[in-house]
Amino acid sequence: MKRLALSACIAASVAAPLTFADDDLRINGFLSVGASMADSDDANFTGSDNQGGFKNDNVLGLQVSKQINDTTSATGQLVSRGADDYSTEAAWAFVTYAATDDLDLRMGRLRIPFFYYSDFLEVGYAYNWVRPPEEVYRIPFSSVDGIDLTQRFSSGSVDGSVQFYYGRYNGDFNYGGFTYDADFRNFTGITLNTNMGNFGSRLSYHQAELIINNPPATSPLAQIGALGGADFQMTGQTTSFVEAALTYDNGTSSVVAEWTQLDYGTAAFLNDSAWLVAYAHRLGDMSLHATYTEQKDEYESGLNGAIQKAAGLGVEESSIILGMRWDYDSSTALKFEAQYNDETMYAGVDGDSAMLYSIAVDVIF
Amino acid sequence: MNTLYKSIFFLLVSCASMLSSAEVAVIISSANSNASIASGDITKIFLGKTKKFPDGSQAVPIDQDDGTPARDAFNEKVLGKSASQLKSYWSRLIFTGKGTPPKQSGSDADVKALIASNPNMIGYIDASAVDGSVKVVHKF
Repeated sequence: MKRLALSACIAASVAAPLTFADDDLRINGFLSVGASMADSDDANFTGSDNQGGFKNDNVLGLQVSKQINDTTSATGQLVSRGADDYSTEAAWAFVTYAATDDLDLRMGRLRIPFFYYSDFLEVGYAYNWVRPPEEVYRIPFSSVDGIDLTQRFSSGSVDGSVQFYYGRYNGDFNYGGFTYDADFRNFTGITLNTNMGNFGSRLSYHQAELIINNPPATSPLAQIGALGGADFQMTGQTTSFVEAALTYDNGTSSVVAEWTQLDYGTAAFLNDSAWLVAYAHRLGDMSLHATYTEQKDEYESGLNGAIQKAAGLGVEESSIILGMRWDYDSSTALKFEAQYNDETMYAGVDGDSAMLYSIAVDVIF
Repeated sequence: MNTLYKSIFFLLVSCASMLSSAEVAVIISSANSNASIASGDITKIFLGKTKKFPDGSQAVPIDQDDGTPARDAFNEKVLGKSASQLKSYWSRLIFTGKGTPPKQSGSDADVKALIASNPNMIGYIDASAVDGSVKVVHKF
């Protein structure tokens, strides 16, 4: 027993320097594991069906950050996602220069601040859901290579920040079941965050010039591209995204409402809008939450719209999510969730509805 | 209710009142020129929303270790958040490189020693542990 205690002590003293060896080097991580099961295959869920999904919600992230001197730091975050067959990607890799106490300049690989939850999109511990609702959180990539600057401000009881970024995203773009090789050039956006007491708001605007070369021959884009003419081209037309969110949290009750609108500069992809409202009630270590969310694709008018519909494009769906989160420990959360997904339209034709049941454990360290 | 339950109940009640009556003092070094600091400013410093004292000098917040009575009281009464809520708050900042939580530095005696020797630091200890080496800027 004594020996056991002694080896535990040694293990602790050996392990401790790893985290605290250098005051300025920090290692943090997060891990989410989850499983889900749909009651039927009448509706489509990413990474799950009525035979169960045991991979889609598994995410491991490791972050290393180093304060280089008073004004400069380096941060790298590697994320391995079950949804991507555990291939590892640098979600963040940047150097920060603190120009003043309130102004940060960053360069490298950054998270695109599309959404309220973008910054911590994969850190399951930071929110109540098993995963952010897919109706709204539908953009299939999340990082950009470039620069950004963040100015924080504070005046009386109001504080907040303005973030501006510029860069380029070159990589996979998934749409309607096909993967395209996309090049989003002149990728730029601005985000305004404000907090006052229990209230918060967020506004953001983003745009980029989208170029897609050599779409897969069987994809709607390749087929209608030839058919549809100029309106269906994807040679640098500007795509834009607008988002607005309001939040309230008094410690017991919290509300998040978020609205988004995506406009493609081409008829080859459908413009859409999506929003969610989520309410959570905290009872000590337990949180109960309820969410309503919907997403709607918009066909263009006339011939273009008919071509879009004929190509099997178009989704219109909504979900009701009821869930429970239990803070089993101050750094571990256990979650249960039931989602009723109603697809009014899927792939341009009438859809159906189904239930998805999910469970997840989220840890941060 | 039988007598045993009754006495356990009263024991619990008296324990709870003893716990909540312990006073916690927010302290800075006696060499720090700030006289008193409002609860709202303390909150901003401990949540990483400002890096400065009201007089403009640099402020470095120091937490006690997880689970000490002073930390629980400070979280609840000054920051108004539970340990889990704070963990969630910091997880949103840590993983974006936007902030790091205050350093954890032991309990009353460790924090007092650290703060006494560093005019930029601010921490909290049980009021009974306060002595001349530090200055109390807020009590609750």
